[in-house]
Amino acid sequence: MSPLFIAQAVLTLFVFVMLLNSAAVMVYVERKVAGMLQQRLGPYLVGPKGVLQPLADVVKLMFKEELRPRAADAFLFALAPIISATCAFAAFAVVPFGAETTFFGLLREPMKLQVADVNVAVLVIFAIASMGVYGIVLAGWSANSKYSLLGGLRSSAQMISYELSYGTALAAVLVMANSMSLTAIVEKQAGAWHLFGWPLLPRWFVFPQIVGFLVFMTAGIAETNRAPFDFPEAEQELVAGYHTEYSSMSFAMFFLAEYINMVTVSAVATDLYLGGWQGPFADSIGWIWFLTKVAALLFFYVWMRWTLPRYRYDQLMAFGWKVLLPVSVVNLLATAAGVLYFGA
Amino acid sequence: MAPEIFAFYAFGAVAITASLLVIAQRNPIYSVLLLIASFGALSGLYVLLDAPFVAAIQIIVYAGAIMVLFLFVVMLLNAPHEETDYDERVHPLLRPGPMRFGAALAVLLVVELVWALGRGGETGSFPGGAVTSVTDVGRALFTDYAFPFEVTSILILVAMLGAVVLARREERG
Amino acid sequence: MMAPLADYLILSAILFAIGTAGVFVRRNLITILLSIEIMLNAVNLTFVAFGRALASVDGQIIVFFVMTVAAAEAAVGLAIVIALYRHRESLNPDSWTALKW
Repeated sequence: MSPLFIAQAVLTLFVFVMLLNSAAVMVYVERKVAGMLQQRLGPYLVGPKGVLQPLADVVKLMFKEELRPRAADAFLFALAPIISATCAFAAFAVVPFGAETTFFGLLREPMKLQVADVNVAVLVIFAIASMGVYGIVLAGWSANSKYSLLGGLRSSAQMISYELSYGTALAAVLVMANSMSLTAIVEKQAGAWHLFGWPLLPRWFVFPQIVGFLVFMTAGIAETNRAPFDFPEAEQELVAGYHTEYSSMSFAMFFLAEYINMVTVSAVATDLYLGGWQGPFADSIGWIWFLTKVAALLFFYVWMRWTLPRYRYDQLMAFGWKVLLPVSVVNLLATAAGVLYFGA
Repeated sequence: MAPEIFAFYAFGAVAITASLLVIAQRNPIYSVLLLIASFGALSGLYVLLDAPFVAAIQIIVYAGAIMVLFLFVVMLLNAPHEETDYDERVHPLLRPGPMRFGAALAVLLVVELVWALGRGGETGSFPGGAVTSVTDVGRALFTDYAFPFEVTSILILVAMLGAVVLARREERG
Repeated sequence: MMAPLADYLILSAILFAIGTAGVFVRRNLITILLSIEIMLNAVNLTFVAFGRALASVDGQIIVFFVMTVAAAEAAVGLAIVIALYRHRESLNPDSWTALKW
């Protein structure tokens, strides 16, 4: 039981617990920010300023009755939320959130703040995102109800359509960074561009790749089925889409999966475009920079949801295929041309 | 037992069991899901064979896209359990017609191949040390194999067009 | 410390045989297509195993192309299945032995 092994195990547990906490925090932040955007109070009763609201939500969900329609396929009905939640958590296993650290000298050699450093980390994230579709499509099918089926099929068709733009925007970053390992990509974004000896802009990929960043965030919002792309689960349209027939903890798992997917997309976008943990004193407090950037992106997510009206389904699909995909392909070609001409 | 050997047997067992269940299942949705499990096991085998790119591509393309397509078609067609004109409980080797042929062929294939491979003796073991990386794959794909690469993109375009045309509803009038 | 090459080839042979059996034994068009995919995957495994044994990248390249072709074939095959189903509401290949409308 070397100290490194123990540290790795603790790190894995830590990441898991932190993801759960982040979902809880997001529940509160979403409702509070929604309140602020709509000029009302949001939760304020439970705990000071309503901070215990997520706890109340969880307790409520736990005490609800777990229902299952009689005509539903029991095995798939139980499996679908598990697949959704598992894929949401698993994608975070390859996301680094800090520089190498020795935990103030407790370890003999520095350890990366990442559960697993794979050198095809970007592909792994993409693969797990593709597997997340199954949770939704199986949820829609297994409940054996027309709202669920329609919602499930629409939602999964939307997800696989936007995965293309997601991947192409990602490919443009790979062209610039010359590596598929997220740690290497973040390390490439160290430093800054200088003008007359003064640092002008940090060397993050968002600045040369602003189009790619916008495409990535848009595709990410569509991937996680958040507004304005949440037609398949909109209350006014399809009751609740693919999770109509779910209640209590199964519903909580879908809920959880959605928030954790948001956190993962924000974390990956931070690593790819916003320089991950780069910032002043990155070696010691890099993770604070990472948290700040992820928090900013999550705020952007919530802001989008409560500001924009939702797209109708055909508008959504047309946008994904006819606008976003060509833009991301042109972005990739332009990036490749730029790298060839200017030399990385 | 070394962890790689154990992993090989574990993934191999999952792949074989899942594939057997795919062809033994009557519900097409379960068949598709079991095949996804089989693909996952194969992806693990590719990782063991030092091919992480192929492993990731297997999950992204096969398990993540092609199987979603199968699942969509099964759901849209509401594919019924197959009605058959033979007694399902009879073992495949005793069923009439092409089924007996197919089952016998499969058994024959396995026996033959296992015999051939066992007879070869030292069919070779894997060389240790440095092997190909994703960079090598990319480089070879775009230099030595650039022409097939471009041709497959045209192939996919043709397949897309063909699928759209074939599955279109007939125009009325 | 990897399993010997013969083990991988035997595994691939078994998978290929399972796929072949599936094509003959099953009377459902979609399951037949799934069995074809099993066969293609068995072949992929053989290619990658040999590519690793000969320390060549060609194995992985060919797998890349096989997967692409399999995707195209699955798409067109399923489109044909949909078109056929629309005509006769049946997924049993025995329904189309006569090939006349």
